Amino acid sequence: MKPDAQSAAPLVQMEAIEKHFGGIKAVNGVSLDLYPGEVVGVLGHNGAGKSCLMRILSGAMIPNEGTIKVNGEVAQIQTPHDARDLGIETIYQTLALADHLNAPANLFLGRELKTRFGNLDDARMMAEAVRVVKRLNPNFKNLSDPVSSLSGGQRQVVAIARAIYFDVKILIMDEPTAALGPSETAMVGSLIKQLSNDGIGILLVSHDMHDVFELCDRVVVMNKGRKVGSHRIEDVTKDDVLSLIIKGELPHDWAPRSRKAVQ
Amino acid sequence: MADLDRGTVPASWTLKFSDSSFHKLSALLTLALLIFAFSFGNAAFFSINNGLTVLLQTSVIGLLGVGMTLVIITGGIDLSVGSVLALSGTITGLSVKAGIPVAPAMAIGVMAGAFCGVINGFVITKMRITPFVATLGMMLIARGVALQLTGAAPISRLGESFGLLGNGSLFRIVEKTGGIFPKVVFPGIPYPVILLAVVALAAAYLLRRRQIGRHIYATGSNEEAARLSGVLVDRTKIFAYGLSGALAGLAGNVLMSRLVTVQPNEGVMYELDAIAAAVIGGASLMGGVGNISGTMIGAAIIGVLRNGLNMAGVSAFVQQIVIGVIVILAVYVDQIRNRR
Repeated sequence: MKPDAQSAAPLVQMEAIEKHFGGIKAVNGVSLDLYPGEVVGVLGHNGAGKSCLMRILSGAMIPNEGTIKVNGEVAQIQTPHDARDLGIETIYQTLALADHLNAPANLFLGRELKTRFGNLDDARMMAEAVRVVKRLNPNFKNLSDPVSSLSGGQRQVVAIARAIYFDVKILIMDEPTAALGPSETAMVGSLIKQLSNDGIGILLVSHDMHDVFELCDRVVVMNKGRKVGSHRIEDVTKDDVLSLIIKGELPHDWAPRSRKAVQ
Repeated sequence: MADLDRGTVPASWTLKFSDSSFHKLSALLTLALLIFAFSFGNAAFFSINNGLTVLLQTSVIGLLGVGMTLVIITGGIDLSVGSVLALSGTITGLSVKAGIPVAPAMAIGVMAGAFCGVINGFVITKMRITPFVATLGMMLIARGVALQLTGAAPISRLGESFGLLGNGSLFRIVEKTGGIFPKVVFPGIPYPVILLAVVALAAAYLLRRRQIGRHIYATGSNEEAARLSGVLVDRTKIFAYGLSGALAGLAGNVLMSRLVTVQPNEGVMYELDAIAAAVIGGASLMGGVGNISGTMIGAAIIGVLRNGLNMAGVSAFVQQIVIGVIVILAVYVDQIRNRR
């Protein structure tokens, strides 16, 4: 994290968010904030509520309780459209690509570029897609093929390109490296660093401890719908985080690791 | 959808056929083979006169097929078009009887069709009923309303102008011979054929060049992805079903106008012909795949088959068998290609 990051105003403040399905509380009074340039790892078991929380921020789900503030102002995020208007972009675990459409069509889906007469401007969308995709993967050539015929890595590139092409301020990445090989994982890692240097706040949902400790400034751990911990990465070890994920609490003898090192 | 970007990759034409153009090519080849075979069977088949007759007979199925294609691309199906066709024609006929001039009366009929389609869309998106069930319900409702309004009796004596849309033609050249029957040099292009051409071009433009068309493909391809991308999925579907209903209404007016009589029990099972046309043309009932030109070829194949088999003296029952086999073969060929 940049030294001044905590002193800046938070990009996002999610306050006392609740979401229940029938009697089950998927998200139970969770608060979370995110500062510019900060990479926050959101961890937890499957079904701990982290994906729910992310979907609420990205407008795919409406919370039952709680408020979301973006840049200090209360934001009504009812639809994915609202979230995008606020600069919140999401890379879904499923990638959320329309398989029969090609890369540019997917990249601009819902935000198509148009000519003066309101027609789709496919030429310009293709040119822009080539530009942004080249930045992520210079070997990506077959942009005009339907994305169903692309490799897993290429599909991931399309999904990432869609998130970063537009004016992104807050980026939610739901297991962005789950389907990727080592070189592509490294590419995503360097991209995350680059984006956070640009002042973009990133929420990284991941199961991969190595990635989390490599990339994140802070980790937020969820367990059974509750937030059980929020720690700067230098204060915890992998074992501490695992304990939080599994038991929902830190080891008994825990003290912030960075302070311990100083002592 | 690979032909979205034909302009950018001309190489794909020569090196490899994209999926949809391959399918279209095989469908075109089938059509050519049929025409060739029927021409051998009957000299009268391969003539301008008969060609225009086939087009005229195809126009109603073609109009229904255009709407059906839009709906099928969204991943749905519209079983109500045959009944909506009858209801629209009925409402037009009743409007004419009530003293409204023919053109506005027909507009009312088309709007009634669009209304039925929009209701389909609402039932599917807001009540979350599957398209099959929702449009099956509308199929019964629309037919019932048409029969109830007319007491199941045809409405006739609607005036000559009512028959103009279905029976008129453009560029008709008639030579006066002095006899009772003037000699028809060129029968003219029937209005329904022109109407179908205009509608098909407009729909193709809509699908390929407009945002709503892109959203129709995206909705059928991956509804959740489309929703997360900010596509208004419900509105897109309601639009598709509404347009399908409106085109069914238009087809109803064309058909009733051709008969110069409103038949409330007309159009039974037409939805199946429309679905067959779309499927032969390469549309996938799974959604996300299909295009207007394919459907037009599919409709032409059905039209040519009907006409050719008629001229060859094959019974209507056998025609159904043949068309059924063709539908299955068309989908089978498609699957073999996809497995490759």
